[in-house]
Amino acid sequence: MANGQSSTITWRMIGRVLGKTAVLFLLLNLLFAGLEPMETLGRVSLYNWLLPGRVRLPYGENPAESYNLSLNNVPAMLASHAINRPKDDAEFRVLLIGDSGTWGWFLPNEDTLAGQLNALGLETADGRTVAVYNFGYPVMALSKDVLLLDAAMQTDPDLILWPVTLESFPRDKQLFPPLVQANPARMRRLIADYALDLDANDGRFITPTFLDQTIVGQRRNLADWLRLQQVGFAWAATGIDQAIPAQFDLRRSDFEADESWQTFTQAATLTTDDLAFDVLAAGMTAAGPVPVLLINEPMYISQGQNSDLRYNAFYPRWAYDQYRALLGETAVAHNWPYLDLWDTIPPDEFTDTPVHLTAVGNKLYAVMVAEGIRPFLAEKPDLRHPNPQGLITR
Amino acid sequence: MPLDLASLLTFATAAVLYAGLLNGRWRGWALLIGSTLAIYWLQPPLAPRFADYVLPTATLALAILGWLLTRPPDVESRQTTLREDRLTLVVLFVLAVGMAFNRYLDAAYRLTASRPPSPLWTAVILLGLGGLFLLSARLAAKADQRRVLSGGILFMVVVFVALKTAVLSTAVAQLWRTLTGQNPALAAPTDLAWLGFSYVAFRLIHTLRDRQTGLLPALSLREYVTYIIFAPAFIAGPIDRAERFVQDLRALPHMVGLDAARFGEAGLRIASGLFKKFVIADSLAQGMSLTAVNAAQATSTLGLWMLLYGYALRLYFDFAGYTDMAIGLGLLFGIRLPENFDRPYLKSNITTFWQSWHMTLSSWARFYVFTPLSRSLLRRKPRPSPTLIVLVAQIATMTTIGLWHGISWTFFIWGLWHGVGLFVHKQWSDRTRKWYRELAEKPWQKRAWTLFSWFVTLQFVVLGWVWFLLPELGLAAATFGKLFGFGW
Amino acid sequence: MNEEQTIREKLRAFITRELIRDESYNLGDDEGIVTGGLMDSFSLAEFGVYVEDEFNIYIPDSDLTVEKLDTLNQMVARIQRDLGA
Repeated sequence: MANGQSSTITWRMIGRVLGKTAVLFLLLNLLFAGLEPMETLGRVSLYNWLLPGRVRLPYGENPAESYNLSLNNVPAMLASHAINRPKDDAEFRVLLIGDSGTWGWFLPNEDTLAGQLNALGLETADGRTVAVYNFGYPVMALSKDVLLLDAAMQTDPDLILWPVTLESFPRDKQLFPPLVQANPARMRRLIADYALDLDANDGRFITPTFLDQTIVGQRRNLADWLRLQQVGFAWAATGIDQAIPAQFDLRRSDFEADESWQTFTQAATLTTDDLAFDVLAAGMTAAGPVPVLLINEPMYISQGQNSDLRYNAFYPRWAYDQYRALLGETAVAHNWPYLDLWDTIPPDEFTDTPVHLTAVGNKLYAVMVAEGIRPFLAEKPDLRHPNPQGLITR
Repeated sequence: MPLDLASLLTFATAAVLYAGLLNGRWRGWALLIGSTLAIYWLQPPLAPRFADYVLPTATLALAILGWLLTRPPDVESRQTTLREDRLTLVVLFVLAVGMAFNRYLDAAYRLTASRPPSPLWTAVILLGLGGLFLLSARLAAKADQRRVLSGGILFMVVVFVALKTAVLSTAVAQLWRTLTGQNPALAAPTDLAWLGFSYVAFRLIHTLRDRQTGLLPALSLREYVTYIIFAPAFIAGPIDRAERFVQDLRALPHMVGLDAARFGEAGLRIASGLFKKFVIADSLAQGMSLTAVNAAQATSTLGLWMLLYGYALRLYFDFAGYTDMAIGLGLLFGIRLPENFDRPYLKSNITTFWQSWHMTLSSWARFYVFTPLSRSLLRRKPRPSPTLIVLVAQIATMTTIGLWHGISWTFFIWGLWHGVGLFVHKQWSDRTRKWYRELAEKPWQKRAWTLFSWFVTLQFVVLGWVWFLLPELGLAAATFGKLFGFGW
Repeated sequence: MNEEQTIREKLRAFITRELIRDESYNLGDDEGIVTGGLMDSFSLAEFGVYVEDEFNIYIPDSDLTVEKLDTLNQMVARIQRDLGA
């Protein structure tokens, strides 16, 4: 007979156990919602002790293949990154922020800008090793760059490299990245601290209700945090953090006779209302005493059909030329160290978009950036005000 | 393994209705009917036309054939059960033909995975098959039952081999596709993924062999078929023994329906199974366990070890969780299925590991391979050396267990790995028995030795999983080497 | 010596001599022989062959288990049952 082993179990008892479990679950949810522990939890990580730290930020839509995933928990992203470990005296720490080009779309880590820079084996005049950390993230918006820069300042960098391109500048794109929308508190603080010309009450910010803050409401964020730890094992064993397809479509080189860009249908005059130079300036201020080398990143320049109107699929010539002029002027005006590399890479070294480089392209890029870094590695660098003119290559 | 939360909930609801509302004498029938419906419902869709209808039907046919062959030889016990057996036959026929009526239902309401063949044709074929069965049963009744039973066992082994060998099962799938007018070039070894077949085959062989040795009690057709296809144990075991199963089955009419003790125990068991399977095992499956893909991609020895350990844990929690759910569901219906795991990774030698890992399969192999083979070798004149007998018997037993999972070189090597391991352990323990007895009086040394043995045993088992997991011999060998730093 | 004792002593002698291979071992009547690690499942097969030769009793393979034949008492009872039948 398949009767239970203990005859002391009654329905009343089962009811009590179920009731207590339900009450306990409810209380835990309320407690969780009251404490809002997701950011604290994010700092708990298997990376950098059990697992090696990630060489670039977590990003990916298919964890099963890429051993990587996108999540919105900034402390968890930082905690999983190799930069989140104590810096020793022999290290000159370089924080590299930027977009998907910097992150290294379709490239293994050794072929990204950070990988190629590290391969150059740079040293400071006093013998410290230059270690470049890839903190790029595949969305184009300066706001997202500043958000991550702000979070990464606690890792004590000695120098910050900030490659930018026009696509990161449109003002109405600044609140577009999901990472920005999902971190309203962080972004609102930046808006307030640096008086950014962005709407702190923008409807795109995700403002969680009390119920959203419970365990049930946060299950997706909790699962993402857990998943980030899980895929770390496969990442540690394989070094893979991106599913790179064997083949992909190349960037377009022929265009319609079309001069539109963002909301502009034809050539116009771009102003600081259109381009978020205030966000760029905020990043410079957020870096505090740490020098920032601003880089106008290389882009694909087409020779194809209608290339007299457009440089590439992203940019009509009128918009990019104005942007480049404005960026150069602003850098000089603020005394920002600035490196303009916009046309330095041969067109064959671009992959699927006008800003994604091949391994060879990144190597050429790295050599030029290394030249730009050199003044900061000197015995007594004038970190705050190196002569910006001397750095502008053309 | 295709049991999800939805099907679990369906089972549990059915169990509550069954225990709460059904008159005791109908419980046995309810289990037969419910399990029959479940084997059609649980069978995942298959590419060859009608396969996901035909294979569950074939499971029923095999069960009926098994019953025909294993009826006790005395006429008396046959006649007393005849009326109920006829009724069972009619019920099964009606259910099988009834399932073919799913043909006329919209895909969303179908109980079968895809569109079944026409009920009329099904009925004609089933009646023909039934006639054939009866005729062969008549003929078999005149023949020597021992030989008939041996023939039955051989038949089951042949079907098993045909389905579990990639080349052969592809050939069968090609033939199938040709007959149903599909493209035979598309045939794949996974075409005929017959749900529950491995377990069904081993249960059938158990009853056939136990009839030969006279151990099998007389069973009615209803009891026999329910034993073979009992829904909670259909997908992933455990492999119960018929004589134990019918004890519970026959006690069902007197069972207290909504018994808090039984429901409480079952609930805990199911909850523990859910936790093991859907929380622990499924978490480990997300990037923490070795797969054929990441094994080929691996670049770090330490990372590979971590993934291998992850796989070892995942495999245990997946399977043990499944078993917990099966046992819990079984309890809800009033059947106490046997245990399948007893903390296997905590054992300190390979012999006790095998007494606690997939216990019902390893017992099966002990009863039907190891003991009879050892015995017949021991009876040979002149008697071979016991060492040789043990080696042969262990390897035969463990490779059987290996090949039960699928007939391939890697499963064979996995079986060999454990066969040799068990052999070496027996040689060791035969020579150290006295020393072990003395060790018992020195608690600290004993503890240290047990810890060391546990560690060695675990490494042995975990390394063995490389052969179990990786389907390609080359990849498995390369991965095995890499774990020791070779071949990077 | 009655029949039961004869069987018991024959078995005890066989087990300590052939299976445990330590004739000085003082085997108790109710001592777990397999569970106590003194012999293994192969020894149970050897036991089956011995019983067949010595008492002309065939114990089926699926009865040669730890649960059914772990102690001297269980073994004696089983043989007596089959002799009586």
